[in-house]
Amino acid sequence: MSAELPEHVARTRAGKPATVLEAISEALWEEMERDDTVFLMGEDIGAYGGAFKVTRGFLERFGPSRVVDTPIAEGGFTGAAAGAAHMGLRPVVEMQFMDFISPAYDVLTNYIATSLYRGSGPLPLVVRGPVGGGNRAGPFHSQNVEMAFFHTPGLKIVYPSNPRDAKGLLKSAIRDDNPVIFEEHKGLYRAPFCREVLPPDDYVIPLGRARTALEGEHLTIVTYGLMVHRSLEAAAELARDGIRAEVIDLRTLLPLDEDAIAASVTKTGKLLIVHEDTRTGGIAGEIAIRMNERAFEWLDGPILRVTAIDSPVPFSGELEDYFLPSTQDVVTAARYLVEY
Amino acid sequence: MTTEPADSSRRSASLGRKVTEDLLYLGYQALALEAGVRMLARSDELDSALVEFRIDVRSTVIARAMRQLPGGRGDQCFPGPLSPGPSLAFGATPLEFLRHAARRGTSPAATRSGGLTWTDYRRGLLGWGGPRGVMTQVLAGAAFAFRQRGEDRAALVFEECSAVETGAWHEGINLAGALGAPLIVVLDEGSRGCDTHATDVYEVARSYGIPFTMVADESHHDLFRAVALARRRAVDGGGPVLIELKTRLGADRWAGHNDFAAWAVRDGGLSRSDRSAIAKAAAAGVEHAVDRIGKEPGPDPRDALAPVRTGCEPGQPWTRQEPRHPQATVAAMVEGAHVR
Repeated sequence: MSAELPEHVARTRAGKPATVLEAISEALWEEMERDDTVFLMGEDIGAYGGAFKVTRGFLERFGPSRVVDTPIAEGGFTGAAAGAAHMGLRPVVEMQFMDFISPAYDVLTNYIATSLYRGSGPLPLVVRGPVGGGNRAGPFHSQNVEMAFFHTPGLKIVYPSNPRDAKGLLKSAIRDDNPVIFEEHKGLYRAPFCREVLPPDDYVIPLGRARTALEGEHLTIVTYGLMVHRSLEAAAELARDGIRAEVIDLRTLLPLDEDAIAASVTKTGKLLIVHEDTRTGGIAGEIAIRMNERAFEWLDGPILRVTAIDSPVPFSGELEDYFLPSTQDVVTAARYLVEY
Repeated sequence: MTTEPADSSRRSASLGRKVTEDLLYLGYQALALEAGVRMLARSDELDSALVEFRIDVRSTVIARAMRQLPGGRGDQCFPGPLSPGPSLAFGATPLEFLRHAARRGTSPAATRSGGLTWTDYRRGLLGWGGPRGVMTQVLAGAAFAFRQRGEDRAALVFEECSAVETGAWHEGINLAGALGAPLIVVLDEGSRGCDTHATDVYEVARSYGIPFTMVADESHHDLFRAVALARRRAVDGGGPVLIELKTRLGADRWAGHNDFAAWAVRDGGLSRSDRSAIAKAAAAGVEHAVDRIGKEPGPDPRDALAPVRTGCEPGQPWTRQEPRHPQATVAAMVEGAHVR
């Protein structure tokens, strides 16, 4: 059987390390084999295999009724996915770039997110796609979209940082009865530093639970996605000076695992939030107020954040590097906080 | 009028007793409900805008020509905002419709807060009250699910013709055409301002390669047959069909008591007493509903504002929970607790 599999969905079966992209392909493939109600919709995901080749080989295996090439109309096919979900299917919608989820904002927030509340029942649906900057692609192929949806009751938002989580979380998202927005950072898709041999079993990682990426005692760094790796780099540099940072990888942004954040903050007394998304209205603000409500007495310094600058994502490499939060930004903020 | 799906050679066949009984029941029910709603609106039990409320019996005939089966195994219908004809044809009771109109929301079938979003898959009803055009996308997806599973089912959308002015509608109808989804789209040239003329709708349908039918003054017999044929064509792989329901607002009623009497004899072979019994039963249901609706309580927020996602508890503002005092927090801190 494995000999017939496309190479990028057979890494784990072959005992080889997988990238984030391969982990996502494996999750989709395995869920489609496990459950014939799971199907894919998106632009050029069939014959072309997707812009990033996540679904290469899927059309040949699962056929056009389960790997559905759609018109370039994100609102239309997301709405149709909702209808299919109402009728018992489990659609996984690919946005070629998550920047283009905006035409589907109406149907996602007004229709899909309100389904359960309105009495229309659960709506099992995943909208997944690439996000994030650093690839010199400018304002329309580099955005992080989580906060456009974070404010909407009824949705879940997932943002993995590594292959193991990407696969386990995507499987959970597909099996979840709620609509899930699943963000995949392009900078992690094929990153050499982010390959690992995945568990061979059919594992899932529950949504809504953060993980401790690094244990520490002097400050808590809460982050997600590519910024987990920047924060771990920063922690390694801080460790050379005896500063032990605890790094919390949120994994799921909505629902937010504030118990995990509070537990860490009560241990370290210092909180730094790092995200690649822009500053104003970023998730750091929400986390800060929640910790203000829940753990004020345990804080020994101001809650700080390291984020992108409030600007569209620039095309220019020099400008984009300036725009994005860097490892050194995290180190600087952490030192300030520890010395506070 | 262009009626590609129609087949004149089949028009001479009788609709039969069962269908005629149903159409008569729905017709009498519509007339009684129309009077009841107007009365309630005049007495401020319902929105005063409903004093001019009308039910176009043609919409009832169109919906009845679809396939209703119990247990959610039949066709699915989006009845359109405050459009009781299709709702009644798909099995809604007058009381349920009045709850819907009065925002009572005292049962799951009336949705938690009432309004226009009433959904009950078991009877094939899928509601929404948001932007025009979205439900054409959603029902296209539902129809796609039927086609993917090879089921003898179709989806029906009633939209006001202003939907044609939206991008969402065009995305939905284009997707339905591209997927060959068995979708019947009825555009009701209805009660709101509308700039779209019939010829425009015809051109729209032609541009998408979709058969088009305009319904103006056809007999109930021809109308039922045309829709049933369109449905069969769609289910057999012919793809979506577009029907424009030409407005009769301000004009003479399309069908009333005298017409029902003629239907009873010509199509159902029903006696006068049969017809009287049907009319009486239909009116009794409406009288019960009109009497009951004013006595029903509004929704209880503790129940109505239940979880917006599966598996989560309803939120309670902390100011409405047990009174908080800063000293209680300090005491908890001393005890080592970290969660408020």
